[in-house]
Amino acid sequence: MARILIPTPLRQFAEKNDTVELPGATVGEVLGALTAKYPDLKKNLYNDEGKLRSFVNVYLNDEDIRYTGKDATAVVDSDVLSIVPSIAGGKNVR
Amino acid sequence: MVHIERAPWREMVNHAQAVYPNECCGAMIGTIDGDKKVVTVAMMLDNVSQGSQAARYELRPEDLLKADREARTRGLDLIGIYHSHPDCGAYFSETDLKNSCPWYSFVVLSVQNGSFDHANSWLPNAEQTHAEKEELTWPES
Repeated sequence: MARILIPTPLRQFAEKNDTVELPGATVGEVLGALTAKYPDLKKNLYNDEGKLRSFVNVYLNDEDIRYTGKDATAVVDSDVLSIVPSIAGGKNVR
Repeated sequence: MVHIERAPWREMVNHAQAVYPNECCGAMIGTIDGDKKVVTVAMMLDNVSQGSQAARYELRPEDLLKADREARTRGLDLIGIYHSHPDCGAYFSETDLKNSCPWYSFVVLSVQNGSFDHANSWLPNAEQTHAEKEELTWPES
């Protein structure tokens, strides 16, 4: 079972859990199990095309899954998945 | 609504003034009780924007991950992100909106001529098309 850390604002969609343990051999399987268990999380994490929203990053332990095989990244028991947004910005430039 | 306690507020203002005329950024950690969020810890984070930092900021996701872990270790929550706007208002810009995330409060500090001027907090939507202003208080507000 992998552990998934739920960001504070999303816990309202996961029965107020801060951590959830779910089975899966890959990141995609674990995330699939997460959104199957908590369907309201899906629209927060995925867009209408079923892709992770542009600001959503997923880390397996300390590694960004974009660089380790994306959804196909293998997961073993004791692994920790974190959901981390991309954030940037800046004032209007005239 | 967001309330920022005295110590983190001073750190945020000092940070914004110290990096002026560039933009600063950081994480706000604290407690959430319904709609009331109280910031008890400010974590200064690096602005890693490759462009002009006078008009851009960017957080490393890894730093945000550390901030979230720090919050969990302290039994607190990651409430939001702060950044500064040098020599302009504390609005939520088009760039802020297009690079935001709807899960957190975004506090913007306006720094005019090197000194703190005013601040606002914003809640962007998931489509990154609109941000609602939310009530923001701090000890001197």
